[in-house]
Amino acid sequence: MGFETIDGLETALHDAGYLPDRGLATALYLSLTLEKPVLLEGEAGVGKTEAAKALATALGARLIRLQCYEGLDVQHAVYEWNYLRQLLRIRAAQEGTVSEEELFGREFLIRRPLLEAVESDEPVVLLIDEIDRADDEFEAFLLEVLSDFQITIPEVGTITAERRPAVVLTSNRTRELHDALKRRCLYHWIGHPSLEREVEIVRLRVPGIPERLAGQTAAFVRGLRGLDLAKPPGVAETIDWAHALAALGREELDAAVVEDTLGSVLKYHEDLELVRDSALAALVEQARAAQTA
Amino acid sequence: MSAGVPIVRQVVTFGRCLREAGLEVGPGRLADALTGLTHVDVTRPDDVYWTLRATLVTRAEEVEPFDRAFRAWFLRRPSRADGREAVPPPARRVLEQQARADRGAPAEDGQPHEIGWSAHEVLRQKDFAAMTPEELARLRVLLDDVAARRPLRRSRRLRPHHRGRVLDLRRVARLSLATGGDPLERAFRRRSETPRKLVVLCDISGSMEKYSRALLLFLHAAVGSGRRVEVFAFGTRLTHLTADLATRDPEKALAAAGDRVVDWAAGTRIGDSVKAYNDVWGRRALTRGAVVVVVSDGWDRGDPALVGREMARLARAAYAVVWVNPLKGHPAYQPLAGGMQAALPHVDRFVAGHNLASLEELADVLAGIERRHAA
Repeated sequence: MGFETIDGLETALHDAGYLPDRGLATALYLSLTLEKPVLLEGEAGVGKTEAAKALATALGARLIRLQCYEGLDVQHAVYEWNYLRQLLRIRAAQEGTVSEEELFGREFLIRRPLLEAVESDEPVVLLIDEIDRADDEFEAFLLEVLSDFQITIPEVGTITAERRPAVVLTSNRTRELHDALKRRCLYHWIGHPSLEREVEIVRLRVPGIPERLAGQTAAFVRGLRGLDLAKPPGVAETIDWAHALAALGREELDAAVVEDTLGSVLKYHEDLELVRDSALAALVEQARAAQTA
Repeated sequence: MSAGVPIVRQVVTFGRCLREAGLEVGPGRLADALTGLTHVDVTRPDDVYWTLRATLVTRAEEVEPFDRAFRAWFLRRPSRADGREAVPPPARRVLEQQARADRGAPAEDGQPHEIGWSAHEVLRQKDFAAMTPEELARLRVLLDDVAARRPLRRSRRLRPHHRGRVLDLRRVARLSLATGGDPLERAFRRRSETPRKLVVLCDISGSMEKYSRALLLFLHAAVGSGRRVEVFAFGTRLTHLTADLATRDPEKALAAAGDRVVDWAAGTRIGDSVKAYNDVWGRRALTRGAVVVVVSDGWDRGDPALVGREMARLARAAYAVVWVNPLKGHPAYQPLAGGMQAALPHVDRFVAGHNLASLEELADVLAGIERRHAA
């Protein structure tokens, strides 16, 4: 599983509808060639999760996603016994006896994402999303899994991955991860894209959008990021907004349409108010100037 | 970077640099970096950069120190096979001399060492406004390297080149002398690259006072780099300073410039000053094809509309316009000053300029800037 060159991976990601910068492409490429997990950090909405999805598409692999949350435990991340079926089996064998081996056979196992990824025969991209939301103990457990891709189930034995899945971890940096975990991973910080790249992304993701509108949309969002907002918009918001504007049949930004649709970019009331009250006209002006110059 | 051993040594020593800069770089990570490098095209600097960064950096805060170390260690080292960069650039020389002086030891063999990093680091990050005269003096030598960087343009002129496309008939004829007149050996020429013109308009008004000394030192170094540089100072009026700054001794240069400028530390009229430049120098086509750098905090007593108009005029003729604002280095800064807001739409790159690190950034911008607006 992998690509000969960074360029090859870049092209494949592009075909999957994702435009990485060179740094991200290099990190993903190295993650595949060195068979090491890659940790992607960045503000919300810069495309961390999308990157993993695109990587799966590019590799023709199955994406297995583990969404982390506080209190995530082994039963939800790795495996669980199907107690209901076990009970049924015991019932059905009322007359005879059921051995323990029988009850804890593989057919009674519910596979959660980590086990699924380790057991899979097909190529897999394992996305461990928002690892910063899980707690310390889970992180420690994950460390074990990621170091040798083995999962031990006492009743069954040790299951080892035949082929190592590509692993992408994402974090929003709500807390600092353990050094030990970081040591296992390659690291890449995804920043907001440059204006040119963001325009490209918009045009790739919103086919048929007028060129000028794409440029002005990206420039406007970029302007928003320069303000002191509670939640600066990410690429995801730019794309959503561009979709909305294109659906309205706009060719260009103006103050009125921005006013009406700003809600798809800014998700906080105070941000909306701040922009509406003070910066809106100037930002429209700037975006238009940047794209007509 | 072709032979294996030097790469290993470079990466290992680079790792030591990073550790001094506060990054945790263990042998495992170094091994990853080296393995990674065997999988990418090491002739592409950006791929080398991203490979090292993905393998050696573990958190966002480490990116900046990593970048600095990378710039210092790889981009300025004598690494090219054709020996064009075989002489250590001034900044490195200075660092070495300084480090040797610190240890009281004589020069060894010219091998670069990772010493002097932290002292240098402090100086790089220090706000110009807070520098002592001694620090400014040390800064001066470091600036040489930063000030020499410039974007290149293709010249019409053809120079001999082994991969050129145009047959160099004159040299072919000469060479064929040795083979009895038969042109067995061919020679080629191709278009060469020359640095673009650089025009600097530096605000020396009262609000810029704390920065103007360090910035003028920077400009002195830029003029001294031997490339085509024109420097103007402005406050309430415009003064052409290039000739004054062309003196080798920076102290004398600053004194000469100081004598010529009549409105040191007075108010600012950005619009009028840019207009004066456009009217006189712009018409002489100095702006055409040049990178124009405006150094100012954007505080303006004049009419913001005039600033906008004249900046637009400037931007239309220039190859690119860079605005350096020392205030931008402060975290809470927002470009709210009227003059600044009016100017921004016509500016290609907006950078800080409050310490050496930010001037290095400026140098990178200048070296890599591309024309954005249409001709």
